Amino acid sequence: MSGALLEVRDLAIHFGGLRAVDGVSFALERGAILGLLGPNGAGKTVTFNLISGVYKPSAGQVWFDGRRIDGLPPQAVAALGLGRTFQIVRPFPTLTVLDNVLAALGVDRYPGCSSLWRSWRSPRERARAMALLERVDLAELARRQAGLLPLGHLRRLELARALAVGRKLLLLDESFSGLRPEEIHKLEQLIRDIRAGGLTVLLIEHNMRVAMGLSDRIVVMDRGRKLAEGPPEAIQRDERVIEAYLGRGGAADAP
Amino acid sequence: MSGYVITILTQIAIQAIVVCGLNVIVGYAGQISLGHAAFFGIGAYSAALLSTQAGFSFWTALPLVLAICALCGLLLGLPSLRLKHDFLAITTIGINFIVQALFLYVPFFGGAMGISNIPRIRFLGEPLRGAHFLYLALACLALVTFGCWLFTRMFAGLACFALREDETAASSLGISPVRFKLLAFMLGTMCAGLGGSLYAHYMRFVSADDFSFPLSVSFLAMLVLGGMGSLLGPLAGALVLGALPELFRPLAEFRILFYALVLLLMIRFQPGGFFGQGSVLRRRLAPLLTRRRP
Amino acid sequence: MKLFIEQLLNGLATGSIYAIITLGLALVYGVMRILHVAHAAVFTVGAYLGVAVFHATGSLALAFLASMAACALLGVLIERAVYFPLLRFPPYVPLIASIAVMLTLEELCRLLAGPQILTFEARLPLPSLDLGGVHLSSTLLAVYLFTAVILALLWYLSNRTEFGLAMRATSQDMAIASAQGIDSHRVISLTFVIGSAIAAVGGILVGIYYNQVYPTMGAVPAYKTLALIVVGGMGSVSGAVIAALLLGLAETLLIGYLNVPFPRDALAFVAMIAVLVWRSEGLLGSR
Repeated sequence: MSGALLEVRDLAIHFGGLRAVDGVSFALERGAILGLLGPNGAGKTVTFNLISGVYKPSAGQVWFDGRRIDGLPPQAVAALGLGRTFQIVRPFPTLTVLDNVLAALGVDRYPGCSSLWRSWRSPRERARAMALLERVDLAELARRQAGLLPLGHLRRLELARALAVGRKLLLLDESFSGLRPEEIHKLEQLIRDIRAGGLTVLLIEHNMRVAMGLSDRIVVMDRGRKLAEGPPEAIQRDERVIEAYLGRGGAADAP
Repeated sequence: MSGYVITILTQIAIQAIVVCGLNVIVGYAGQISLGHAAFFGIGAYSAALLSTQAGFSFWTALPLVLAICALCGLLLGLPSLRLKHDFLAITTIGINFIVQALFLYVPFFGGAMGISNIPRIRFLGEPLRGAHFLYLALACLALVTFGCWLFTRMFAGLACFALREDETAASSLGISPVRFKLLAFMLGTMCAGLGGSLYAHYMRFVSADDFSFPLSVSFLAMLVLGGMGSLLGPLAGALVLGALPELFRPLAEFRILFYALVLLLMIRFQPGGFFGQGSVLRRRLAPLLTRRRP
Repeated sequence: MKLFIEQLLNGLATGSIYAIITLGLALVYGVMRILHVAHAAVFTVGAYLGVAVFHATGSLALAFLASMAACALLGVLIERAVYFPLLRFPPYVPLIASIAVMLTLEELCRLLAGPQILTFEARLPLPSLDLGGVHLSSTLLAVYLFTAVILALLWYLSNRTEFGLAMRATSQDMAIASAQGIDSHRVISLTFVIGSAIAAVGGILVGIYYNQVYPTMGAVPAYKTLALIVVGGMGSVSGAVIAALLLGLAETLLIGYLNVPFPRDALAFVAMIAVLVWRSEGLLGSR
């Protein structure tokens, strides 16, 4: 456990009477891809929000690269090298695609007051941003206004931004949702390349084929709790998991 | 140019400086401020007091005035971190009333009599009047506008834009809402302070009545009409809304009514402002405005 | 002691008036999330119409009815022509529009009726009471009575009718309410009808109580009521009412009775900031 890049211990959060996450624990080794699955309302995105700092947990701890990060604000978590995408895409609509990525590149480059006198448009920054856009195949649309892009492109933009920030860990929240088959295939390949480059990935995904294909290990959540954990083959055969999906009207998603 | 036109232009220039500051807060950083007139007033009163009570000149007092306004801006920025949009709007309205009440009731600020006999600004030994003062005001306006342009090119500007577009996403990219919101408020109130200082030395008399809530609305209306978040928006808005009451002067009785109707029609049908996104003007000028970047 | 009781009663009356004016604002904010500053102008128009109809017909009842009907229409007109089309823009846009509407209406009142203060000498068909040496005028009692009736009617409407349910659903979440088959726009328009009619009642009561009707009579209430809906908790109508009553009492007792040297009109905002510092969602607001 001590070599894990990310460790979540007994994590819990209550909203009023609702226990959205209720004592979840798992660990993620460096260079691994962990799939976080579960029917709707299981608390997966809430878990992401707890890890990335959007929410403060009611109980439990989050450890990232040897440091405790629960309770830190999102910008502090990002500065540590954790990047994330959002289930509902959140681009900066009136800025260009390039500027969206340039904003992300500032994550650890402007300490103190230097953001006041250092330009974000230097050729070097632009080159770095373009390189990221190339990786997600958006380089041609660099000058396009982000708000005008279709969903598929926006998902890729989210990913580019997350890559800019996440030099150690990527949290991907349903990045494949709404994509066309050829886009899905490309994205799968990209994630494999990312992992090969040394990054660790935690992903939430409803597309079972993708999730099972990419992940080394799977954690299944249901109603805020961890239901099962193990390699994809074991999870696919796990009766509790199947029942959780079928019983909740998630039959279409069931492994 | 007649003295009358110079007077109007000077007022417009001073207001444009103030609205540039509001543009940083509202246009660049996406915060709401309906109390900007209070900072205009704080700047004016600071300049007035420093020059009449402590013998400072406009120039030597300026750093102090800016510092005072920046500090007040910092204080105003703090509630913006906790309060959501509508709460913040109403709080800023309240700031107006409270600051105005302070000016009116605390004897140090001269009470209902205000502060008078504020000296003129001296430049190279000569007191500035008329057209010369206008030049100073325009120079300050150019400086402020240039400063805003520089700001948008620095990362702090991009960070503010990101916060404006989506605070959650921005923070997940490492942009600290606390830092940049407070920065935006401080820069915005400093501009208001500069405008206030010029105003005090121009009118040579300040009183609480000059800095009431309707003035804050005016500033916001100028910004919205000019085009929030654009560089020239504040100038355009100040020009139009500053000139309109004068143009309507012949209408005498119906002046305010027409002003209100024009404001209503503009905001109803062109909320993006003259230079804002999607505006008629922008679409017509688009071929001229877009330059091919290498 | 007698002075204290008198001031207490006055404070309660002032608070009741604030409550009536704030009600409409709180209702509108609840369903539309718009700061309807122009509400105070509707209140002013209500007062003017009341005075006009009363002077023309001599009947107070007719004045109330005519004013309520006209203001209800005015309210819906404002909602449909100005606010609804601006919903998709950031909140400061409808806010500026609202302020422009308020200015326009105030100016129209001033131009049509003159800037002078009109008197509203009407006798309300209620007896005046003398309790233990303290005199309660019929106007005072009328204010209490009207406020109580309006609050009771509103409570009934909100909690015991389908419309009330629709209103609460729309204020929670317009999208979800629409998905449930509720015609949100109709709910919104009807809310404006109700709120504006109440504003008319408020205008007439204020006109009679202070015996003054003038074009800018809405200006100060406009901004105070904003502070009140914040203190009460945005979207909480009962919170706004409680805040209004408390403010009326505080203003009258602190400044009128105890003679604390504090500007009366700033009290609302100071109280607002104090409450927000303590609880950032207001007294009865939800997190």
